[in-house]
Amino acid sequence: MSEARINGKPASLAAAAERAAEILSQARLPIIAGLGTDVAGARASILLAEKLRGAYDHMHSARIFADLDVMRQAGLMYTTPSEARLRADVFLFIGKDLPKVWPAMMACLSPADTPPFEVVREPRKLLWIAPPRGGAKVEGLSIETLDTSNLHPTLAGLRARVAGRVINGAKSTLRKLDEFASVLKNAHFGVVVWGSDGLDSLAIEMLHGLIRDLNKATRWTGLPLGVGDNAAGVVQTSGWMTGFPVRTSFGRGFPEHDTWRFDATRMIESGEADIALWISAYGGETPPWEKSTPLIALASPHTAFAREPQVCIEVGCPGIDHDAVEFAREAGSLVARLASQPSQTPSVAAIVGQITQHLGGEA
Amino acid sequence: MLILLKGGRIVDPVNGRDEIGDLWIENDRIVAAPKGKLADEVHDVSGKIVMAGAIDIHSHIAGGNVNSARLLLPELHRNWLPNAITLPMSTAKWSTFETGTIYASMGFTTVIEPAIVPHQALQAHLELSDIPIIDKGMLTVLGNDDFLLSLLRDGEGQAAVADYVASILAASNGLGVKCINAGGSAAFKYNARTFSLDDVVPFYGLTSRQIVEALQRAVEDLKIPHPLHLHANNLGIPGNVATALATIEAARGERLHLAHLQFYAYGAEGGHGFSSAAAELAAAVNAAPNVTIDVGQVMFRQTVTISCDALRQFNGAEMAKPKKSIINDGDSNGGGIVPYLYRENDFANAVQWACGLELFLLIDDPWRIFFTTDHPNGAPFTTYPEVFALIMSQDARAEAIARQPQEAVAMTTLPSIAREYNFNEIAIMTRAAPARLLGLKDRGHLGEGGLADIAVYSPGKDLAKMFRFAHLVFKDGDLVVRDGRVTHYRWGKALKVNPAYDKAIDRRLAGYYDHHFGNSRDLFAVKEHLLPRADAFGEVACAR
Repeated sequence: MSEARINGKPASLAAAAERAAEILSQARLPIIAGLGTDVAGARASILLAEKLRGAYDHMHSARIFADLDVMRQAGLMYTTPSEARLRADVFLFIGKDLPKVWPAMMACLSPADTPPFEVVREPRKLLWIAPPRGGAKVEGLSIETLDTSNLHPTLAGLRARVAGRVINGAKSTLRKLDEFASVLKNAHFGVVVWGSDGLDSLAIEMLHGLIRDLNKATRWTGLPLGVGDNAAGVVQTSGWMTGFPVRTSFGRGFPEHDTWRFDATRMIESGEADIALWISAYGGETPPWEKSTPLIALASPHTAFAREPQVCIEVGCPGIDHDAVEFAREAGSLVARLASQPSQTPSVAAIVGQITQHLGGEA
Repeated sequence: MLILLKGGRIVDPVNGRDEIGDLWIENDRIVAAPKGKLADEVHDVSGKIVMAGAIDIHSHIAGGNVNSARLLLPELHRNWLPNAITLPMSTAKWSTFETGTIYASMGFTTVIEPAIVPHQALQAHLELSDIPIIDKGMLTVLGNDDFLLSLLRDGEGQAAVADYVASILAASNGLGVKCINAGGSAAFKYNARTFSLDDVVPFYGLTSRQIVEALQRAVEDLKIPHPLHLHANNLGIPGNVATALATIEAARGERLHLAHLQFYAYGAEGGHGFSSAAAELAAAVNAAPNVTIDVGQVMFRQTVTISCDALRQFNGAEMAKPKKSIINDGDSNGGGIVPYLYRENDFANAVQWACGLELFLLIDDPWRIFFTTDHPNGAPFTTYPEVFALIMSQDARAEAIARQPQEAVAMTTLPSIAREYNFNEIAIMTRAAPARLLGLKDRGHLGEGGLADIAVYSPGKDLAKMFRFAHLVFKDGDLVVRDGRVTHYRWGKALKVNPAYDKAIDRRLAGYYDHHFGNSRDLFAVKEHLLPRADAFGEVACAR
């Protein structure tokens, strides 16, 4: 049996949804934040945001826009993990935390296997810039590493050496960069893998430039790991519904996108947004802001909030409690996830649909 | 509900009608004039033109590539006018919601998304289900997929190919098969920079010609109504008319649809090494009754090119404006997104514009030529009204030609062409013929029992205005547009085929996915219950 609370006291689902609608309808500018949900949940939430003339944001926007801002300013060359696994003769990994960012990465890319679709079947090469402390290890594969405490000059230097430009630096650094540049240029189908927490847009743009440069003579592409928990699926859904990614507002009667103006935390802290609907169905995340703005939460069971929300409704996890569509990193696309442990815990889409109905809209 | 459209000019080439008359609708169907019954609703349409709802066979309206283009180019679709939100997302430009709304207001009631790779099918159907009013469908892209290429390399025979094609269509809920630069995207992964009909895909040792032939046969073997929908090699390259002519010949008299032929109508004559070869190409199409084509007309404005031809898009990325692009080495085809500005005072763009119109006007049979801009690649579909005006009026063309670089005009035959399409030919090209080409027997005409998808236009001197704002549009008998404005949403179906095949191939494919991708094939299947609305699909019979 699912749980709902109004001001911390147990309530029926129906009563909680009705109370949530009542609170939201009184908002001057509501923000739907978190958005840790499947495609159906995101779709319902964005329709609700429009109905409320509110804004919506995602809890992982900082990471989303590190990649997306580069794409829409400079472009992107990318591939899927499957293509990388089947074809890459050289991997270039960036950052020590890749296996932590995507725990299934090594299993999906299986770098120690010879790429089955290569014409000349030779063992893969793996280059790793800023590898894990204590060295990178993959069973059955020797890895070339390049330690650095600052990616910007390292990537700039590597790009310059690939392009045959002269750079300054210590002899040993130059020798290493040249070794790397030579492997990159001799690859047949190379794949740069990035996705570190805190990797900034400048570094990502340099990687994009490096990939573009290498493609003048051979084939390289990128594999940005992105963020988990369907962040990419929420962005895709937002894209076809409004034309824009998250951090979009309907306040002026049409979707308007601005990564600064519609940052949920900024809107709350500044007082621009007066009510928040927090959605987190994948894990126990709670709002990152300090201000005690009225809060409605659709959250995983047993989520511990710093302050009890005015209304809290427990929701199921997509792909576990209920069937869902979500972005799968291992596939690089939206996929069907059938419930692994079907339960009665409602989906975000179902609850948001109920709230919307109370506001006089179609679910 | 009984509706009478009274006294309009009925243009219905399938039933040989072009006359003043009445049209009766009961619920979602067109019916004969009922005896002794009064209409619940009468629309006086005297002075108006009544046609079946239009059908667009090739318009990129959904899927991961289209959506990436939206995200790549926020500056292209900003709204700035605070207007009332009358219907969900009605102020969201380039949204799925806007797509259905604009199509309906122009009298289109069925639109086909022509390029979805199998692994993007779920996203495409989610997007299609958020396009209001119109029915839609999608063509599934094959021809660069490793499983198919390995079947062909290993000489597994035509039955295995057909089973595979059918299995992919079933999983992706496609309406037909699209092939895009057969083998070209695969070869690009092996660093090919050009790829023509007889070039060989490394690793597989197959030519583009072999791949096309195999898919063409599979489509026929499976009795899929729509012939293989081919995006040929060498798109957009000077002198590529040779490729188009060779591709027509390679069809060996079998049915073949050539997509956006305008992009293949180029010679390499003149001082710029770029000229129109549309007249020669049109003659070849006229002489090949097995071939159908759609135009892919270019219009002068900012747009974005979206294509699963990853190789072509990579080569075209240098011309991007604004200067950014996405190139995707995805599973099977991948693709690319390159924004582009067609300029009226640009020599090459002016030749391209003329090439499209020459094809429209020099291909004789309106049953074999289809009205497209390859949205948004030649131009957004919102330019359709202007294109109608150009093919229906020599004066409109003369006016446009006068604005263009005359050295470009001189490389074409356009000024010498007097032909003007009439309403009957427009109705064939945009209604009757697309329904026949896609096997949609229930639409494209105004005969008894037909689906009540009906567009009523107010004819006038301004042809573009007439086609931009339909007077009335009915979808399934429901009046959804009045004077060019959508009054409410309804939700159409995605049309698909379901050809019979030997299910043994599914087991093989499951193993292939587990072994090669490390992913279950079930991840990619389009399951109806995961789409937002029930009853999402309509099945089109496979029988010819």
